[in-house]
Order: sequence, then structure tokens, then C-alpha cells
Amino acid sequence: MIELPRLPFDFSRYSIKVFGIGGAGCNALDRIVLDGLPGADLVAINTDAQALAGSVAATKVQIGQTITRGLGAGGDPEVGRTAAEEGIGEILGALSDATIVCMVVGLGGGTGSGAAPVIAEVTREHNAMVIVFATMPFHFEGKRRTAQAMESLAALHQVADIVVCFENDKMGEAVSPKASIQEAFAVADHTIGQCVRALVSMAKRRGPVHTGLDEVATAVRGESSRTLFGYGEADGDNRAHEALAMALRNPLLDRGRRLHDTESAVVHIAGGPDLTLDEVQILMDEVNKQMHEQTRIFFGAAVDPQLMGKLTVTIISGVPAEEFVETAPPPARQPIARPVAVAPPVEDEPELAFGGNGSQEEPAAEIEEEMELEEEEEEVSAELPPPPVQPKPEPVRPVAPRPLFAPLRRPVAATPPPAPAPGPAAPREQKAEQMQFEPVNRGRFEKSEPTIIDGQDLDVPTFLRRNPRLK
Amino acid sequence: MASDQIIVGLEIGTSKVCAVVGEIRADGTIKILGVGEAPSRGVRKGEIVDFETVGKCVREALVDAEEKSDVMIGSVYLGVTGAHVGSFNNRGAVHIPEDREEIDEQDFEDVQANAREVSIPAQNMFLHTILQHYYVDGQDGILNPIGMLGRKLEADFHIIHGIGNRIKNSVRCVKELDIEVLDVVFNPLAAAQVVLDQNQKNLGALVIDMGGGTTEYLVYVDGAVKASGCIAIGGDHITNDLSLGLRIPMARAEKLKLEDGSVIIGQSTPGEMVVLRDETGFVGKEVEREMLNTIIHMRVRETFDLLRRELEPLNFLPYLGAGVQLTGGCSLLKGIDHLAEDVFGIPVHLTHAQTMSGLTSAFENPQLSAGIGLIKYAQAMQPERPRGLFSRIAKKLKFFALLIVTAIIAALVFVLHNQ
Repeated sequence: MIELPRLPFDFSRYSIKVFGIGGAGCNALDRIVLDGLPGADLVAINTDAQALAGSVAATKVQIGQTITRGLGAGGDPEVGRTAAEEGIGEILGALSDATIVCMVVGLGGGTGSGAAPVIAEVTREHNAMVIVFATMPFHFEGKRRTAQAMESLAALHQVADIVVCFENDKMGEAVSPKASIQEAFAVADHTIGQCVRALVSMAKRRGPVHTGLDEVATAVRGESSRTLFGYGEADGDNRAHEALAMALRNPLLDRGRRLHDTESAVVHIAGGPDLTLDEVQILMDEVNKQMHEQTRIFFGAAVDPQLMGKLTVTIISGVPAEEFVETAPPPARQPIARPVAVAPPVEDEPELAFGGNGSQEEPAAEIEEEMELEEEEEEVSAELPPPPVQPKPEPVRPVAPRPLFAPLRRPVAATPPPAPAPGPAAPREQKAEQMQFEPVNRGRFEKSEPTIIDGQDLDVPTFLRRNPRLK
Repeated sequence: MASDQIIVGLEIGTSKVCAVVGEIRADGTIKILGVGEAPSRGVRKGEIVDFETVGKCVREALVDAEEKSDVMIGSVYLGVTGAHVGSFNNRGAVHIPEDREEIDEQDFEDVQANAREVSIPAQNMFLHTILQHYYVDGQDGILNPIGMLGRKLEADFHIIHGIGNRIKNSVRCVKELDIEVLDVVFNPLAAAQVVLDQNQKNLGALVIDMGGGTTEYLVYVDGAVKASGCIAIGGDHITNDLSLGLRIPMARAEKLKLEDGSVIIGQSTPGEMVVLRDETGFVGKEVEREMLNTIIHMRVRETFDLLRRELEPLNFLPYLGAGVQLTGGCSLLKGIDHLAEDVFGIPVHLTHAQTMSGLTSAFENPQLSAGIGLIKYAQAMQPERPRGLFSRIAKKLKFFALLIVTAIIAALVFVLHNQ
């Protein structure tokens, strides 16, 4: 067996800060503090002084003291936004020399939805990379909150480098129905914590096959995409299998089922110096089975002496938010067809040299993804009749026109919606047609009277007629 | 006992031929005496494709049944199926002649004949004409019109028909063995007789008999047969799909389906493999469990979807109080009830023949529902036989005996007292 060589790496290049914004963000941050995240400063930002006092984060920033007088934002994003604008000074102070800022925020409420886009913008101004970990509200919280969350999410997409978006509904599925609500939220927070930790360590760890945040950005891109995330850690003889099984068990991956529909995915394997190529091979073979052949897999392997004897697998990917499109209010559906303007080419930022090996293929992925999304939109609009009134035709860019900050270095999604690309759509149709012309095997029914109902020869296996994608 | 009647139900299925020997007792209960089975060859989708081979299989099954039940089989009730069997509902009407007011049995036969006066394909023959409801002078809900006064008798019938020659082929196959065929019965009709009790028939139920080559269905609403039919898809198709999809021989695929098959998808851990061993226990091939289940799932779901599409226009699915009763060999697939529930949206129960005496293993086996049903059908078709004369006399004698004994005792007491 080939022992993978151990490479020296340098922690000091990055100064990582984790911001927990708003009530949900601070709760998740507390979980991260308790679980431990070495090498990062944790900052709790909230309007609610009482909640802030209960936080275990090392640094606490109270914003909007004059507006809210130490109370919460009351579920109004406008209050949250004003509070953040007022607290710019404190936020800048907390930022100091950060190069990577992870923002953990629960969308849908006041502080989180309102303040997060502002803080993200400040951070960008500060030349730091912004990774947002956002949670979408539970379905039962109502459409209003979902709408607020969508609006805020769209705003975050404009400014953040990476937006990792979780659905609370999906996370809720992870817990047993009998679990207490505290446990349920703890699981959600724990998942977010794992993801933060995984991304931070991916950024820090150097390995023989490097995969960094730029690949993550590609994998989770898309304004309406929801993140699939799985993390597994295991030791012992069978650690490769166990770690992968654990990663796939994550509710967001739905036992690996949802992976099959993704366009691209990051698979990052980290282990101690004893990580073997054989293990990596076994693991990647199994991962490949989960995914469609066309899926672009960004593979990364890293060696970290702290992981001696252990092996960790991180799978990050994004899928279009199908459920949310259905429940979201009509205006929010608009961004779906817009070109993806999330992931900036990382080459623009020499100070954050994360490598750029994923970016050359990006246009192709974009088109593919768009196609997928467009199809979906058609489907949805077929199901739901168009609403009579469209109250807010352009709600997604509330942050952009504010004069408070200097213009961003990057155009804020000024690209017009592209004409529907007929090019890539045509081959797909052709492919479907070709399937019919392929000689079909009827097996033992070859010579018997065919069962033809509605023009379909039912003797041909269903999976051949229905799902040519099945391996 | 001499007064008990032996009835044999013979079903020539796609996967097996089975002969169920049952005894109808004087009190009307049925006892299963024995079940003869033989693997079926030469049958595809419920229809005979190799006459000679099927004859051999039938003989094997009958011999097996004779051995097991210790009964000489001379006649059978034959179950038939196949995609050629179709059905429809029709109303027959007759006017009662002027000179008579009372409806008699002749009118009853006339109305049935009238209902049959519809065009079915020339090659088809009637299998069943099942009464649904009577109307006398437009008044509905009449259970028995004979003896009633009326001018016009109408009746709704559910008519089941099939291609004559194909049905005759099955009959001939049995007759060549010098066995008489008493009646030909459409399989799901037979199965429904044992799967449903009267209460369930009244509540309404959809019986699905998913067998080896065909999936048959029959709907009872308000105690009457409202729809029936057959789709030529069954367990064989699942096996064939597996064989083609996993590239394994048919026999292997069949075994895999029985041992590891399930229609539940998404429950196995990714990458979970099922190891195929050959006869010597040597590991030959590995297949992914998810893949295995997906293939089965897609086929079964499609079949249920077809059924639902066929039944939906009739618009009684939501009103079936007793839900879907799923039987037949395929109902043994893991999770199939949940899948069916998902498709039909009403409760689904896995059933087999209702409790009767005799071989427990027989009536608890959903594969034999139709076979056992044939016996029940035969019983239902027979006119109610008067109870034996002897038993009635015996009953009266008992009473007399008691009377005489009491009188003697009284006399003795009287005599003794006087002394």
C-alpha cells in the first residue's frame, strides 16, 4: 500500500471568524463553541441583549441598541437591517483582520434576515471571504417567514462568496418523532456546526489532492439551491466504509438518494498520516455509485496529523430547492431562471489563494443547472395557476441600492436573464428519442403475445422504459 | 360422510398448476382436504401456449391432489384468466305479458338473456352474467322479484366474457385427462368469494389477485360485482425485469425475487449488496439491493397505476369501505401493501382465503386464494339443498322419545304411589 505523503501546512495564513447572527445563528454558534472549533474566533451578533448574555461565544456584539433598546428585532427584517447599519462600527471591530468569515444565520426572523446581508456586505468590503450558512424556516412557520427568508437569501447570494443553505424541514426529519424540540434544534445546530467545521478545515488543510472553497462554491451555487451536506468520521479497520455510511446517513443527503440528482459535488477525505490510497479508492468507488455518471465530482484528500487513526469524509453538493419553489410566494420564484451569480471566480482574489482548478468548467455547469431549473419552473407553473397579483415584482435586491457603502467590486447580478438556451436542450430530447429506437429486450416474453396498453409494450422492463438513467 | 360433497378447484396458473380438494359439509362449511401442486410450464400470462406440456402439468397436479386428499377426482371447477377476458355492465329489461301480472322465473331468465343481447367480439363467449340489482316498474333495490306484481322487470348485470377458443383450450386440456369440467370461472371472481365476507362485499372492496402471469381485479360495491378484469402483468414480469436488469438467469432472478425482493426503495443503505450464491454456496455475483428493489418497485407501481387508471373513470375507488384486498403470489412481496396504499389512496390489506377448516397452510397461502375460491363459488352456485330427510325425522323422534320416557316415569310414579 502506498502511504500518502504528509505535507506541511500553514494555519497562520488564514484568520477565520465565525459570526452567529440573530437568535438561531447564536444558538448554532453556541453549539459550535461547545463542540469546539480550534483556530477560529467565534462572534455572537444579536439585537437581543438578553439572548446575547446567555451566549457562550467569546466575543459578543450587540447591534441596534438605540432602535431595539436591547430587545429583539421583533421578526421585522427592516429593524434588523437598521440595527446592523447602526452597529457597523462594532461589527468592523469584531472583523479586525479576518480573511474568512463564516456567518451562521437563521433566516426568516428579524435580526438574522435583516442584519445578515448588511454584515455580509461589510465583510466583503473588508476583503474577507464570506461564507454564509443559512437555514430556511420550517414549513409550519408560515409563508410570510419563508418569503422573508427567500428575500434575505437572495440578498445574501449577491454579496457572499458561498451560501450554504439548509432547510429546517429536512433537518427535522433527522430526529425521531418522540425527540424533544430541544433535541431537534440541537441536531440542526449540530449539523450546521459540522458543516462550518468541515469547510474551515477544508480551507486550512493542505493535501495531496487539494479541494478548496472554490470547488465548494461551484458545488452549492445557484440562488435557489439547497445544500446537501454529509459528514462522517470513523476509525478502526473499516473506517472508510463507516465514515461514508455515516456521511450518507445525514438527513440532508437522504441516504445518498438526493446525491443522484446533483450536477456537481465536493467529496473531501481527510485522515491522519496513516491514510492510504487504498482507502481513498474504496471510498471514492462507493461515492461514485451514489452519483450519476455525469456528476462532476471534486475530489479532495488532505492529511492532518491531528486526525491520526481517523478518517473523515465530507460531501457537499447542491440541488435545486424543489419543495421551496412550491411553497414560496410567487415573486420569490423569479430568481430561479436568473444566471447564477454566486461564486465569483476565485482568481480575482489573490490574497485568498485557494486554487482555481474547478472554475474552467463552470459555464457548462451553469447551463446544465439552468436547464434543470427552467424545467422545474415549468413544472411548477403547470401545477400552480399564476397568482392574480404580484405584489413585489423585484424583491430580491433590497440591499443593492443603499448608498451607505462603496459599490462592490463585483457587479451585483446585473446580468439580464439569458435567452433560453435551445442548444443544450435539443440533445437531451434527442437522447430520449434514441432510447426508443434501441433494440429492446423482452426476455422470456419474446415470443408471447405482447401486452400493449396505451401504446407501451409492457413486457419490456419498466425500468428500461421509464428510467434510462438507472445504472 | 355420504351427504358431504367433494369439489375440486383447478387453477392453471402461469407459475403453477394447483388443484384444491375441498369438502362441502352438510352444515355448509368447507373443509380443505388437500392441495395438489405442480410447477407450471407452457403457460404464459395465464394462457396456454404449449398444450401438451400443460396437460402433463395438470395431470401431475391432479395426481398430487388425489394422493394428498385421498379422493378420486372425477370433475373439477376450472379457473380461467388471461388478458382476453373483459367485462362490462349492462341492463336487461322484459315486459311481463298482458295476461299475467306476477313475475315468475321465466321472466328472470328472459331478463338475463336480454342483458346478454349486446355485441361482444364474435370470437368471444360469455363467462359470467352476474346479477347486480333488479328493478320492477322502475323501482330499484328489489332483491327477489319472483312472485311480485309488475309490468316491467329490469336487471343490471355484470357480464364477463372472453375469447371462446382460449377458454375452450383450457377446458379441453383437462377433458383430455378424462376429467369433467363442471364450470369455468373467472379467477378473481372465485378468489373474491373466499377473500371477502358478505359484510365486505356490502361495504365495497377491490380484490386484486396478483399472480405469476396476470394481475386480476374485481370490484364489489353494495354487495354486487361492479367491475372486473385482467392485466397480463404479474410476477413473471418482475422476474424477467430482474433477469434483464441484473443480467442473471431467470431461475436465479426468481429466487432472488422471493428471497431478497422488496418494493420498498430508499430504505437500504447505499452500496448495500446482495450476494448471489450458486448451488454450491459459491459467491457468483453481487447486486446492489437498491437496484434490485427499484426494478421491482417500478414494475409493481406501474401495474397498480394501470389498474388505478382503469378503475378511476368508474369513480368508486374512494367509496370502497373495505378497501383493497390484495392477494395472489405477488402479495408476498415485502412492502407491497404500502406501495398499493400509496397508489390507490385507500387502505390495503393483504389477505388470503378466510378461515375454514382443514389445511391451515392452504387457506393461509395467498397463492391459493383462487383455487379455494373455486370451491366456494361452486357451493354458492348450487341450489340450496334440502336438509336430509333422516335428520328431520331423527329430530322429531328425539322429541317423541323424550315424551314417552316422561310418560313412563309418570306412570311408574303413579303406580308406585297407589301401591
